[in-house]
Amino acid sequence: MNSIGIIANPASGKDIRRLVSHATVIDNNEKINIVERIILGAQQNGVKKVYMMPDPYNMGYRVEDKLKTSGELKCEIEVFDFYKEDTVEDTYKAVQMMNEKNVGCIVTLGGDGTNRAVAKDIQEIPLISISTGTNNVYPDMIEGTIAGIAAAVVASHQFDKAAYSNRDKIIEIETAGQLKDIALIDAVISRDIFVGSRAIWKVEDIEKIFVARSHPASIGFSAVVGGKTIITEADDFGAYVSIDKNAPKIKIPMAAGIVLPIGTSEPVILNFGEKHETTTYCRGTIALDGEREIEFHQNQTFIFKISRNGPWHVDVKKAIEVGQQNGFFTV
Amino acid sequence: MKISNETIIEMYEKMVKIRKFENRAMNLFAEGQVGGFVHLYIGEEAVATGVCASLRDDDYITSTHRGHGHILAKGGDMKYMMAELFGKESGYCKGKGGSMHIADATKGILGANGIVGAGHNIAVGAGLAAQYKGTDQVCACFFGDASTNQSTFHEGLNLASTWKLPVIFICENNGYGISVSQARHQNITDISQRAVSYNIPGITVDGNDVFAVFEAVQEAVARARKGQGPTLIECKTYRWRGHFEGDPTVYRPEGELEQWKKKDPIPRAEKYILDNQVMTQAEMDQLNAKIDAEVEEAVEFAQASKFPDVASAVLDVYTDIVEEGRTR
Amino acid sequence: MRELTYGQGIKEGMRIKMLENPDVFIFGEDVGLFGGCFGVTSGLFEEFGEKRVRDTPISEGAIIGAAVGAAAVGLRPIPELMFVDFATVGMDQLVNQAAKMRYMFGGKLKLPMVVRLPSGGGVAAAAQHSQSLEAWFTHVPGLKVVYPSNAQDAIGLMLTAIDDDNPVIYLENKTLYAVPGQVEDEVKPIPLGKANIKREGNDVTIITYGKQVYDSLKAAEMLEKDGIDAEVIDLRSLYPLDKEAIFESVKKTHKVVIVSEEAKRGSYAGELAAIIADECFYECDAPIKRVCALNTPIPFSGNLEAYVLPNADDVVEAVKSLF
Repeated sequence: MNSIGIIANPASGKDIRRLVSHATVIDNNEKINIVERIILGAQQNGVKKVYMMPDPYNMGYRVEDKLKTSGELKCEIEVFDFYKEDTVEDTYKAVQMMNEKNVGCIVTLGGDGTNRAVAKDIQEIPLISISTGTNNVYPDMIEGTIAGIAAAVVASHQFDKAAYSNRDKIIEIETAGQLKDIALIDAVISRDIFVGSRAIWKVEDIEKIFVARSHPASIGFSAVVGGKTIITEADDFGAYVSIDKNAPKIKIPMAAGIVLPIGTSEPVILNFGEKHETTTYCRGTIALDGEREIEFHQNQTFIFKISRNGPWHVDVKKAIEVGQQNGFFTV
Repeated sequence: MKISNETIIEMYEKMVKIRKFENRAMNLFAEGQVGGFVHLYIGEEAVATGVCASLRDDDYITSTHRGHGHILAKGGDMKYMMAELFGKESGYCKGKGGSMHIADATKGILGANGIVGAGHNIAVGAGLAAQYKGTDQVCACFFGDASTNQSTFHEGLNLASTWKLPVIFICENNGYGISVSQARHQNITDISQRAVSYNIPGITVDGNDVFAVFEAVQEAVARARKGQGPTLIECKTYRWRGHFEGDPTVYRPEGELEQWKKKDPIPRAEKYILDNQVMTQAEMDQLNAKIDAEVEEAVEFAQASKFPDVASAVLDVYTDIVEEGRTR
Repeated sequence: MRELTYGQGIKEGMRIKMLENPDVFIFGEDVGLFGGCFGVTSGLFEEFGEKRVRDTPISEGAIIGAAVGAAAVGLRPIPELMFVDFATVGMDQLVNQAAKMRYMFGGKLKLPMVVRLPSGGGVAAAAQHSQSLEAWFTHVPGLKVVYPSNAQDAIGLMLTAIDDDNPVIYLENKTLYAVPGQVEDEVKPIPLGKANIKREGNDVTIITYGKQVYDSLKAAEMLEKDGIDAEVIDLRSLYPLDKEAIFESVKKTHKVVIVSEEAKRGSYAGELAAIIADECFYECDAPIKRVCALNTPIPFSGNLEAYVLPNADDVVEAVKSLF
């Protein structure tokens, strides 16, 4: 049976960047509307079952109720029945269950942070990510209906996933001989000494920036490196730079509405398999995809590596092209 | 975010002070030494602490019925608070206010308040006064999730945003309006989104992480001082006790409290402090002992204090009129 | 002496204090650019600017609440609500906050604020714009309540009210705004709790305030023709209350008629009657009479409204019933 999983992060689009930049709130009703459109797009193209992560706003049940009331729901919606922590743990748990249910595709609604959480354990399931976050590089601005149609193509298992998706790069962060965490786009070492409100925006506290990809037309840290060099998803390497107050500055879009002059060292390429080891000299935090996650103190050693151990990221356009070329949409 | 070890220790001390004060108040109520309605702040300490650590002495706060934490965090004196809970003459309000009405104008504390939602507009007034006088003072307005359904919330945000007043609206979303869960009292989960309607920044932070609250409020205060207007900060938190002491809390799903106890803000801060060697365990123990002593001292002070002379009941209604008393 | 209308008197009181004290400011619905719904604040916006004569949104709770907050931290706000009827919307802020904060906080706060509330019927404004609600305010410990009847008193009471460190409810009768009166060149503040004997008489005491002062004086003239010599007391200040003036008069006349525009049931007139019965019973040789509005909402149609509101004839009739 063709099935998909939907992870709509109820917390995305509300963090402190609405205060320290010009971002706006994305409320959960808008996410509900997007989920509806995904389901309507998907069920018309053969998806019979949709699994959803539970959340405090009950987005899954609200969607089910709305579509049942309007008489449009043809597939089955199952909101996982587990005890909600109302934290990122819910995402981990939902991804694990979607793996157990062997869903054909996972669709996320969130930002870079949401996708990072999903990527940790998504394994071989292809990922479609819709942006409802703040400073996003990873997810795409796509219409929910189109995302739903693409998800149906993917979940049909009729086509080779290499035809419409690529395995993403990630940044792996190891400490004490163990994988500590991953990032999809960027990892930043900061002298900000606590996780606090998570988002990171104070450039003056930043020491080093690692990126899996970089482009001057992105926003946030990948743009910092992108100001000097472009690294695409296809390149089998990443890079890092150190912030250097004395270096010539480049104007970088750091956050919504915030363009700052930033000076860095020249990017150092990190090829697959290469390790960059760094030992901390003070307290600080490591931010992953724009959110402070790891607090460290003096004399801790971290290893940063770039690999292609990320999720299969679906190119929505390509997936639909594959469907169209193979008569998938023919009635 | 630059933050000194002193500030971290100070915030930790404040949270522990609130916890220990509240625990003691809880026991005193159970023993019958303290009467009336007592609404405890246990579990929500990080909010008041993180907020008030970002304020100056000459900044204002408005508080709620659950106000002990706010008052301690803004520098209220435990002795006078405890004496007020006992209804003693030496209390903050000379025994006329009790738990729900403690104020200390000298610390900018414009009063706890027994009316849900009443603080919003008083905070707007204090912000208006700061703007009017051209000072850079701000007012932090504490309120719960349920009060965001009162017209005053909307009136207050509207006026504060229209006049760009230096008010930081701090929503302590503890998930319940007395017994009614948030899902049953409003059709949203993130109160921060209500800021959109007033065209001001609205954010949601982990209200059980004192650093997250502190950081957000620092930014909002800086913004307000610069004349950029109000901010709505929603702090997600949870009250461990019932709405009031004696509330059987039958409305809570099983396991919910335990789940939130895992997010207890105090051990979280302790872990940070020890991990980062801000304090040693011995120093921390010493600080805890000091606060224990301070709470006991406050209780003794309250117990030793006199009840107010009944003749004082007719004073303080006005600045200049003494109302008629009884002849008995 | 000079001539000013009642409305101009209210304005002059505010203006004098605004010139004197930068902490005094006005805000409310349409009080600024528009000059107030009844024109009372006209010209002040131009004179003092937007900062001190502020238009607010139509948010009665916010208007009173913000006044409470501003007063609590040292300003002397004069909020206006356009119609006393709208006070219902801001009632929590008046009753639970303004009136009680000082007491609840053990006398450690001052709340100097003057709340202007245009009251009364007679302008075909119907049930939600015509009430007389002074009983509500006088009932609440912590509020002071004044109700001037003429331009001179409007100034004098305003000067005192603004300087008072307690919340003062300043009731204005909207039919009087255009009524001219003689005003001293330099008006002195009138202490709160000082009644004004508008007409001396020996046979009956008519206690009143606001617009009914005029009806009562007219009634007194009519009664004079019938040989009844009425004394008319204009209370001016409802709380604090000048009991002394009332008792002095009752001791002389031994008969009392109380006239107000309120619905009779639960009225402040009733409270006045009770005070006299309680403390001055043996001086009375007739029942204490109240002449008030009927116990109905105020109707729209002119003849209905005139029927519901009290007038001079009603006062005459009540007085005559005592003889």
